[in-house]
Amino acid sequence: MSAKSLAAARPRFPVSRYDQRSAMLFLLPMMAVLAIVAVFPVVYSFWVSLFDLKLTRPNRVPFVWFDNYARIFHDPQFWESVTRTASFTVMSVTAIMVIATLMALLLNEEFRGRRFLSAMLLVPWAIPYVANGLMWKWIYDSGYGALNGLLYQLDFIDKYMVWLGDPDKTLALVANAFVWKEVPLAAILLLVTMKSIPADLYSAAKVDGANVWQRLVHITLPSLRPGFALVIIYETMMAVRHFDMFFILTEGGPADATHVLAWEVYVETFRKLSFGTGSALAYVMALVTFLLAFSIIRTMGKKL
Amino acid sequence: MARIKFSGVGKRYPNGFVALADLNLDIADREFLVLLGPSGCGKSTTLNMIAGLEEISEGELRFDDEVVNEVPPHKRDVAMVFQSYALYPHKSVYENIAFGLRMRKHEAGEIDRRVRDAAKRLEIVPLLERRPNELSGGQRQRVALGRAMVRQPQVFLMDEPLSNLDAALRISMRAEIKQLHQAMQTTFVYVTHDQAEALTLADRIVVMRDGVVQQIGTPDQIYEQPGNVFVAAFLGNPPINFIEGRVEATPAGAMFVRGDLRLALPDYLATKALAQGQREVMLGLRAEDVLDEPGRDANTLRGSVSSVLPVGSDQFLGLQTAGGQVFVRVDKDRKHREGENVALTLNIDRLHLFDKQSGLSLRS
Amino acid sequence: MRLSKLMRPVLLAIASVVFLGYVLAPIGWLLSSSFQSEAEITSKPPHWIPHDPTLQNFSAIFQADKKVTYETRRQGDTATGGYIPSTAKNLLPAMRNSLIVAVIVVLLNLIVSVPAAYAMAKIRFVGRSSSIYLMLVTRVIPDIALVVPFFLFIRKLGLLDNLASLVITYLAITVPFSIFILLSYFESLPDELDKAARVDGCSRLQTLLRVFLPLATPSLVAVVLFTFLTSWNEFLLALMFTQTLASQTMPIVVASFTSDFTISFSFINAAGVLAIIPPVILAIMFERYIVSGLTAGAVKG
Repeated sequence: MSAKSLAAARPRFPVSRYDQRSAMLFLLPMMAVLAIVAVFPVVYSFWVSLFDLKLTRPNRVPFVWFDNYARIFHDPQFWESVTRTASFTVMSVTAIMVIATLMALLLNEEFRGRRFLSAMLLVPWAIPYVANGLMWKWIYDSGYGALNGLLYQLDFIDKYMVWLGDPDKTLALVANAFVWKEVPLAAILLLVTMKSIPADLYSAAKVDGANVWQRLVHITLPSLRPGFALVIIYETMMAVRHFDMFFILTEGGPADATHVLAWEVYVETFRKLSFGTGSALAYVMALVTFLLAFSIIRTMGKKL
Repeated sequence: MARIKFSGVGKRYPNGFVALADLNLDIADREFLVLLGPSGCGKSTTLNMIAGLEEISEGELRFDDEVVNEVPPHKRDVAMVFQSYALYPHKSVYENIAFGLRMRKHEAGEIDRRVRDAAKRLEIVPLLERRPNELSGGQRQRVALGRAMVRQPQVFLMDEPLSNLDAALRISMRAEIKQLHQAMQTTFVYVTHDQAEALTLADRIVVMRDGVVQQIGTPDQIYEQPGNVFVAAFLGNPPINFIEGRVEATPAGAMFVRGDLRLALPDYLATKALAQGQREVMLGLRAEDVLDEPGRDANTLRGSVSSVLPVGSDQFLGLQTAGGQVFVRVDKDRKHREGENVALTLNIDRLHLFDKQSGLSLRS
Repeated sequence: MRLSKLMRPVLLAIASVVFLGYVLAPIGWLLSSSFQSEAEITSKPPHWIPHDPTLQNFSAIFQADKKVTYETRRQGDTATGGYIPSTAKNLLPAMRNSLIVAVIVVLLNLIVSVPAAYAMAKIRFVGRSSSIYLMLVTRVIPDIALVVPFFLFIRKLGLLDNLASLVITYLAITVPFSIFILLSYFESLPDELDKAARVDGCSRLQTLLRVFLPLATPSLVAVVLFTFLTSWNEFLLALMFTQTLASQTMPIVVASFTSDFTISFSFINAAGVLAIIPPVILAIMFERYIVSGLTAGAVKG
């Protein structure tokens, strides 16, 4: 082979220079933003968590290696928060899945007024968590709340009960408010998956003699698995990190009944002003969320 | 002027798959070149390389002696018609056609003139204000043609533009495309898997398979002198008949032998074949190269009719012969029945001979 | 068969009513309460529909100038508080802050996300799969984890109590999801459209702006909606970064009402109603884009 053909035979960079340049340019702003949200917090918060940084005495910031983490893992309150977060999450996600699936099934049908229904169903999703919080706080109010009023009028109870003040009930109450707000988005995510189920599957099933119920169980539900996976992952992540309504409704109380992980981080960081431990806690939380999402994807992925 | 030259051009994907290997091709200005082959043969890859849509892994592509490997598509003076037409859904037909001109900053009056001229030529003037989703397949195809035409490019690329049309439309569009080529006097590079289309349209055909060029030539050359078994089989409808056998030297001259079948071979073929003694060969016989009457012994094909297949203008017979099943074309008004024994004259000069192992033609 | 044909509309109607009730009842109660005076709101059992509707709660919010003095301050049942705070007038300015932040975040979001999504969808470049992966991974990080590092960083920049700090942080948390929505939508648009545009003479940027963007309307609307709502509703980070009214957003002010037990609940409900009006209107107006924007739409032609 001549030198010329050897040079010509050398494999080139697989993408045109123009395309690579364009792509890099288009990605530049995003990379800058991601550097702020991904790289920076992860690295910096880890760094801070290695110090005993208390804003109450900002001048003495000893480097303590992994002391903060050790302290967290030995703190029984930490583990209690984890348990509470877990039960809140399980309650919420289960309820969301059930209600959202029913809602999505309804929205998938064609009928007059469906657009109106679907517009209305979006309302809970649109409102801010704080507004949601105050709304439910008023509903749960022990003196004049709607829940009391309704149950009283329907003769379920004979006198007004204390709701948010009752440690046994509060986690469920917050979960209820959370579920109410999350259901529309979950329903929409499921609806989107439902709409991509090929109509031919249903036609074939009808020809095979399947009735509505059978079609539901054997076609719709199995085809929804990716949608279920997505919703479960998303809502689990939202539930584990949720903060806003705990702030409005219960402030971690009563008697720590709703003192979840997110609340613990808030208290540690902004009330005790201990940034070192707060940072470590947040880091642990981020890792937990990440691992959770990962393991759910894995288990769902195997089933898919 | 648009001479296109591929020098040692190849395309290799990161996973190792080779889409195109060592392509050397000179496309002359104003030629109608057809890239022909089955799916995956590399013809679309080659076309996309001319457009700049596909990255070249090795070798050089030149437009008029200038290396254009790194020139992005919007800087090349090519126009392309896609298999799926790829019309802009949000633009009217007029805007679809005008788009390329607008992007290249032609002035408004010129744009309008060209668009209307093209529309008139393609008979789509009443459609100018419509949207693509309101058009039929055939209409969309014309708009796609119009979009490419108005650009008056140096090279006109077409990627199986007629595949999605029904049979009748396809035939009439072929004629139109040929006329278009005459009128525009530009280089056309056309990709298809339809051999009839290639034979109708091309000045030259490049037959490709698995990324490798099999043969380049005029339609006549490709059809009459296929370079290998693949090319012979790919062109022609119905496909060429292959009979395996041997070439033997006999006192009467070289003969093709297969069981009871013995056929005399033309001199030049015989010499080639015998150059290495007894050879295993594939005999190629086109369906139309037979006469429905018995000839001399050394050029007769005997067999029993296994099927009679009338197709309107022609009649085909399936024959069971000593060399296996062959399909031949006979006069429409000859009556034949299944099971009947027939003897047909072969035109010896039109026989093709291929080496059994390499598949290469023994003609060259 | 005939039975199920009859049954279908009935079942659908029942289901619709149930879900509508589930969704709208709490809001309805919020609305109703906001129009009740303190006296009425404290009746047992509650008045589901106000017998004596009043606008006094709303007027308190809108009368920014009126000074609250001992005399003008409304008194009511001390059991519930019944006091309309002087900070009532903070709600509107806070809402204005929320609006400014949300609008800027939406605009910047589009500028950042659209090109990135197009590049990842249509350009085969070195590093493409890693970018997509990186982008997906960052969505997993909870807001909580951003608290400490952002707080320290912003404080060092001197941007505490400044709307800019909110804009930066909100941008960071909304961009990954926006890109995700746009990316899947762009991927569903045919590749040949991209090729046709480039052969027609479009640079990559022109292809994006003149061909893909006009076709991506549903997903763009979905992105605008999601980003606006996320911005408008965000609480935790705003809590961290804002200290005075100069930068406080609506959720902060509303939260301050709810944590004060002496404030009248009818007033709080009115504040809640105002707070939810903009997002609810947006959501209802753009409802049909949400589903189509999230689905990869099929584009023919």
